[in-house]
Order: sequence, then structure tokens, then C-alpha cells
Amino acid sequence: MPPILRKQEYFIVTILLFMIFFGSSVSVLAQEKEEVAYRLKWLFNASVVGDLWADVSGNFAKNGLDVKVKAGGPERDAIKELELGRAQFGVASADQVIRAVSKGSPLVVLAQLFQTNPLHWIYRPDRSPFSNPGDLKGRVIGITYGGNDETIMRALLAKYSLNENDLNLYSVRYDYTPFYQGKVEFWPLYINAQAPIIGAKLKKAGEKYSFVNPADFGIQFVANSVVTSRNMLESRPDTVSRFMTALLQGWREALDPANTERAIKTILQFNDQTPEAIVRQQLPATRKLMLPTSDFAFGKIDVAAWKQTEEIMLSQKLIPAPVNVEKLLNPAGH
Amino acid sequence: MLHRRLYQFLIIYLSGIALLMVIKYSLNLSDYVIPGPGEVWQTARQFLPVYFLAVINTLSVAILGHILSICLATLVGVIGRLTIWVGSFIRVAAYNIQAYPIVAVAPIIFILLGDGLSSRLLIAAMICYFPLLLSFIGIFSEPISEIEHFFESTLRMNWRLQVKIRAFENINKLITVIVGSATLAMVGTIVAEFIAADAGIGYSIRIALFQSDLAKILVALFLIGICTSLYLVLLEWIGHMIQRRWEVPKGG
Repeated sequence: MPPILRKQEYFIVTILLFMIFFGSSVSVLAQEKEEVAYRLKWLFNASVVGDLWADVSGNFAKNGLDVKVKAGGPERDAIKELELGRAQFGVASADQVIRAVSKGSPLVVLAQLFQTNPLHWIYRPDRSPFSNPGDLKGRVIGITYGGNDETIMRALLAKYSLNENDLNLYSVRYDYTPFYQGKVEFWPLYINAQAPIIGAKLKKAGEKYSFVNPADFGIQFVANSVVTSRNMLESRPDTVSRFMTALLQGWREALDPANTERAIKTILQFNDQTPEAIVRQQLPATRKLMLPTSDFAFGKIDVAAWKQTEEIMLSQKLIPAPVNVEKLLNPAGH
Repeated sequence: MLHRRLYQFLIIYLSGIALLMVIKYSLNLSDYVIPGPGEVWQTARQFLPVYFLAVINTLSVAILGHILSICLATLVGVIGRLTIWVGSFIRVAAYNIQAYPIVAVAPIIFILLGDGLSSRLLIAAMICYFPLLLSFIGIFSEPISEIEHFFESTLRMNWRLQVKIRAFENINKLITVIVGSATLAMVGTIVAEFIAADAGIGYSIRIALFQSDLAKILVALFLIGICTSLYLVLLEWIGHMIQRRWEVPKGG
């Protein structure tokens, strides 16, 4: 009677069995990684380099997490996604957080990404000289009605006892034409994102430009922070801890000047629409806003700035009552 | 006609609100995600007058845009009915241009015209113009052989008479298309205001979105629905009057 399997067939069967076993082991290993979704505040750009780094450099994977990093955008709200269970972690600005908490959203803040709000106003110093907010008198100032630049500008005006009638507020959009034409003298922008692009255009036209930073005049309005739901923090503290370890490590590595080239490559991997030359300017600008000094502990929550943000929102009636913001700030001490 | 339109709208609107409340309470969502009935009511009391004026502002621009697009579509439709190359060119151009999304064209319009009334008007007209144009070209290009033949054989046919015959024989279709495009004019104006304007309900919705205030948006939607319904009823009534006027000689 001939053997059921010949030698060669034994070999193939063994290989196949090995592949099935190995394949299933890999899938088991993959399954062991906990899946979570992380909704960013904005599109993939230099402002999210650490989030992308933590993903592509394996920081999340090393901490047993399979994180789906999702780009944000104007119509995407991480806080709503947390409540709806579509994301477990997110990035939101302080005004979003305070507004949501005042409406009963169960949120906690895990880390503060920007130590200085990137929102600045660009202006031409030769045409509209500026040394302090008093110089805004009689000028045309761009604001996005309903946006946090409106809140910040109104806080600045209130601090320096300027009335809305002392100047002209102009409703701005994405189109910078009124600023280029000189119709608007001070235009809001993100210094780490749009400033290099607008600056390059002005430079090409032979124009001088400078920026107003509201923080220089005592307005501390916190920008982006990492948030999660209170339920997530209480029911899955280990996941939160591993996520934050990986994320903060990713950010520290991405902002390390020694890793500049890799960080730029990471941004361009996700965003091929922005020229590399611009990304090269955006990255150090972002670093400066997140790490004011080289030994700064990345992600540190500036409680005083959060309290001031809450006070500003209260004074402008953007929230009906105090939310005691300090209770939301890193309650587990990550 | 009026009360039927209004209660149909109210049924749809209240069903939508009820669905949102079911989602809110079944998923235990905060007022930040979906506002409660109390907050919607408070917001309505506070913002109804302001939003009403904003909707009236939007509606007036939408009506102007709609009239503009009807005139333009009639003109181009009349030229486009020709079998010579001009007509063929206009037909092909109309099909091609309507393929461009308005959000891509809008920034160019705002750069050229600024963010005032003219931009809102042009975008409103553009959004409702192309569906109108395509229908008008179709209607005016279709010969009514049994009638036109008589005038052609007696050598009394001219372009005005041809257009009149075709419009008269397709009056129901024309009215339906005009009424249908009214909602597009309203949508177009709101889109224009949302992208770049400093007035109108689209602008107010944009601000509310920045503030993540769904209650304001629900109030705005209510007013948009009511005002659009009123405009549609007005158009249907005008259409009805035209039909009645034209049907008398037809019957007699």
C-alpha cells in the first residue's frame, strides 16, 4: 500500500500548519492590544506632531495600545465623540472643555499641550505701530465672531479698559484678502501654523510684519489639551495611564531638536499638502509654544491659566456659572 | 395650502426634535451634545426675534437670487433651444459648469466681490440656477410638433411664438421646477452666509457652531423651515393663478 502522504507533501503540510499557527499567534498578539480612538482638534499638521509620532514610532504599541489617531477639523468635536463613545481620548481647547462641563459633560483634562496659546494677531508695524493694547484704538481688528479669538480680543480690550467703540471689529474668514489689501490692520492667525505661510507672502511683497501675543499682555487663555471622560478615567485607569505614558513620551521625542528630521518626515507622511519648507518653520514655532524652556515638563497643566480662562468666559457670559475648573485638571495625577 | 404646508413642516420638525431627545436620554448625553427641551425653549425665547430678522434677511436675498436665476435660466434656455452651434455650446457648457461644487468656486467669488450682499446673491443664484437651466433647456428644446407645424406651414412662426407655445404647453412643469428650485435658493444663500458673510441666518448658524450651541441651531432650523414653507406656498399660489389665467382661453 502506498503511503498516504509523500515526503514533499509532508513538508508542505508542515509549512502550512506552521503558517496557520504562526498567523493565529500574530492575530492573538494583535488582539491583545487594546483598541482606542483618539480624536484630534485639527487636521494633521505640526500642531499634532507628537500624536503622530507616538503612533508611527510605536509608543502606543509598546504600551499595549492600538490607537486610531483621527484628524480633527472645524466640524469635528472630540468632546462630543467622547460622550458618544466614538473616541476614548481627544484634544479640545479650554473654552470647549469649560463650555461642555458647564452643560454637564463629564470630562477630565489629562495634559495641556500648548503652554502659550498659538492664537496671535499679525500686523504691519510700519503702517500700524503697536507697543501695547492702547495702540489698538481707532484700528481695524479682525476677529472670528463666535470663535475663541473673539473671546481673547474682548478679554484684552476689557483688561486695558478699551471699549468696542474705540476701534473697529471686522468679521474675518479663511480668506486673508482684506488683510493683504490693508482693509484690516490686525488679523488673527495661529503663529505656528499660518504665520509661516502668510509671513512668506508678505516677505515676498517686501512688507514688514510682526505679531501681537495676548499672553504678553496678561491674557492667559489655554488652548489645546488632552481630555477623556470621567467614566473612562474611573473604569479603565490602566488604559488611561498607558495612553498618557505613550503620548507624552511621543511628544517629548517629537519635540526633541535631535529628532527634527524624523519629526518633519512624520508630519509629511500624514500631510503631503504642506510644503516641507513651511513644515520646517512650523515645527520650531510649535516647540516654543509647548516647551517654553528646554527642561520644561511637557504636558504640564497651568492651573492659574485655566482659572483665568474660566474667569474670562464667565465675565463674557459664555458660561452661566463657575465650573470650578481646577477639579477637572488631571485628577488622577498622570 | 398654507396650513397644510405648515403642519407638514411642524410634524417633520417635531419628529426630528423627538428623535434627538430619544437619543439624548437613551444614551444619557449631556446638554453639550444634545440640549434638553428646557434649554431649547430658553434659547428660543432669547434668540427668536434676532434669528427671525436674520432669516428674513436670508429669505430676501434668496428671493432676489431666485428671481435672478429664473430670468437668467429663461434667457439662456431660450438661446440654448437653438439647434445651431450656439445652442449646442450653451447646453454642453451648462452641463459642465453645474458639475463644479459651489464651495470650491465660492472663495473666488468672495475674493472678487467681497463678503457683502453681491456674493450671497450670486451664490444663491448659482445654486438654484443650474437645475432651473437644465429643465428650461429641456422644455424649450422640445418641439410641440402638432401646434408648431401649423404656424410653420403658414410661415407665421417666429422665435417668440415658439417660446410661448413651448412654455404654454409645459406650464405645469415650469411651475414645478421653479417651486422646487426655491428651496435651493434658500440653501444657496445659507451656504454663502456660512462660508463668508456678516449677516443672515447662515452667519448666525456659523457662530452657533463655533460655540457648539445646538440649541441655537435648532431654533434657526425652525425659523428657516417656517419661512421657506411660506415662500413655497406663495410660489405655488402664484403658479396656481398663472395656470388659471392660461387655462381659461385654453378651455374656451
